[in-house]
Amino acid sequence: MSDAVAPAILIEGARKAYKPIVGTPARDAVHDVTIRVAPGTIHGLLGPNGAGKTTTLKMLLGLVRPTAGTFSILGQDSTRPAGRRDVGFMPEQPYFPQHLTATQALRLYALLSGVPRAEIPGRIAALLERVGLSGRERTRLDAFSRGMLQRLGIAQALINDPRVVVLDEPASGLDPVGQRDVRNLMLSLRDAGVTVLLSSHQLSEVETVCDDVTIMNAGRVAAEGDLDDLLNVAGHTSIRARGLGEELPPAVAVHAGSVAASGGVWVFSVPDEAVRAVVDAIDDAGGAVVSVSPMRDSLEDYFARMLAETVTEGGAR
Amino acid sequence: MRDRVLPIAFGVVADSLRRKVLYIVLVFAALLAFAIPALPDYGLGVEAAVFREVALALAYVTALVLTLSLAANRVPSEVERRTVYNVVAKGVSRWEYLVGTWLGVVLVVGAGLAAFTVVEQIVGLVTYGEPMWRLWQGAFATWLEMGVIAAFAVAISAVAGPVVVVTASLAALFIGHARSTLLGGEGALGLQPFVPSLDAFNVVNPVAHGQGVPPLYLASMVVVFCGLAGVSLIVGGALFSRRDL
Repeated sequence: MSDAVAPAILIEGARKAYKPIVGTPARDAVHDVTIRVAPGTIHGLLGPNGAGKTTTLKMLLGLVRPTAGTFSILGQDSTRPAGRRDVGFMPEQPYFPQHLTATQALRLYALLSGVPRAEIPGRIAALLERVGLSGRERTRLDAFSRGMLQRLGIAQALINDPRVVVLDEPASGLDPVGQRDVRNLMLSLRDAGVTVLLSSHQLSEVETVCDDVTIMNAGRVAAEGDLDDLLNVAGHTSIRARGLGEELPPAVAVHAGSVAASGGVWVFSVPDEAVRAVVDAIDDAGGAVVSVSPMRDSLEDYFARMLAETVTEGGAR
Repeated sequence: MRDRVLPIAFGVVADSLRRKVLYIVLVFAALLAFAIPALPDYGLGVEAAVFREVALALAYVTALVLTLSLAANRVPSEVERRTVYNVVAKGVSRWEYLVGTWLGVVLVVGAGLAAFTVVEQIVGLVTYGEPMWRLWQGAFATWLEMGVIAAFAVAISAVAGPVVVVTASLAALFIGHARSTLLGGEGALGLQPFVPSLDAFNVVNPVAHGQGVPPLYLASMVVVFCGLAGVSLIVGGALFSRRDL
């Protein structure tokens, strides 16, 4: 991100310490977290459970009092109510007053957001259509499924036509079609110049839509930047091949690591400098190369490695 | 501010109107109102005055039950169910949220008191042949006092659960009406200005046995109401703003 561009979201030195219960040490849920989100981008906030993602978002949105740090959205202090008026937020598992209908709930949030009364009916109709809830305008929310509530949560986050949207696990509880719809929605928001901060566990979701990511672990920023740069394993290439029989040819096996086979397709990694020799060896053995690509960690593997490092560091201390 | 407080208040009203407790309390109170003329005190020959006194007491208890049942759990349940997230994240100040909640409770209690006073008037008219308009003065005083109690309850509920809220509110009610008893001793009289009193809202005698409440006194009750409710809501807002949601 260019330093010349003022970030749409800026979190600097965020810290949240919970007071100790008598006899226990104080605990930092979030420690010295700094996140910069460029305007008009989708920024992923990733991390395992308990990493501090939601606490960070809550501090940004004034739901939790920070112990330290500064938080701004579009240049305004977002811990103050006035600094959140141009923001849409969808919490993880959004809850609504159950006695309201979808229209009544969106009307309430539109009024609270300061949407002009004359514009409210049109916005509600358009948003319900956009999130796939057309025809449910008069359905009471206690009759909504979890997926429908999730869709309504997205609609309420967008009711004030915000320039910044914060989404906490937006695809949670949605079926595959719903997850695809959410991804497309985020992309269309970005196309419209809206900045999106997305907290998620789902690698596929993050990989598809995010321009940059911040990975948190144990309350700290573990890594940040482009997801490809973070997950690519330097110096190794992943090769997929078929037609190699029950065992890898010796000329391939000598270089191959992380070997897996399924349905006649072999997947393994080799050092970059051995790629040419391995491809030739596959040809010589009568096999066919399906793909050659930079070797990449799965996010799950990345997390697992981070957690292991955290445990090791904790043990060393 | 108004654009954010009023939608919250109307949300509380809409939610309250679907709660069975509201109707059960009102129906039960109305049935008791019809039973007042059967009380044994009527042998004393001051039937209408005694009816007004008991009716005021009944209205007071009804309003108190409504106030505590609506105010004690509203904020804690919204925090627990996280519905408050969508509100606060929209740029609504926490004090605006509390004031809106309080206002909604006050409106519902006012509507309940009004309905109950109409029932009392009907019973009074049918039984004694007089409309008993002064009961509205009593209802107004009760409504103001319940507004203060609701403000106190909402303020406490910003940091405590419903059991603590109800207990604290009843304690405040007791202390508020027992200032002269608690601090009646010569040495303690100096403390009286520091203990808020709810006695200003006690208009039973002029309504039940006298000529009604003078307009200036009614106005002074409004001043006391604004002061006590305002202080409670300011303290509640300060407490709530420090709370992690």
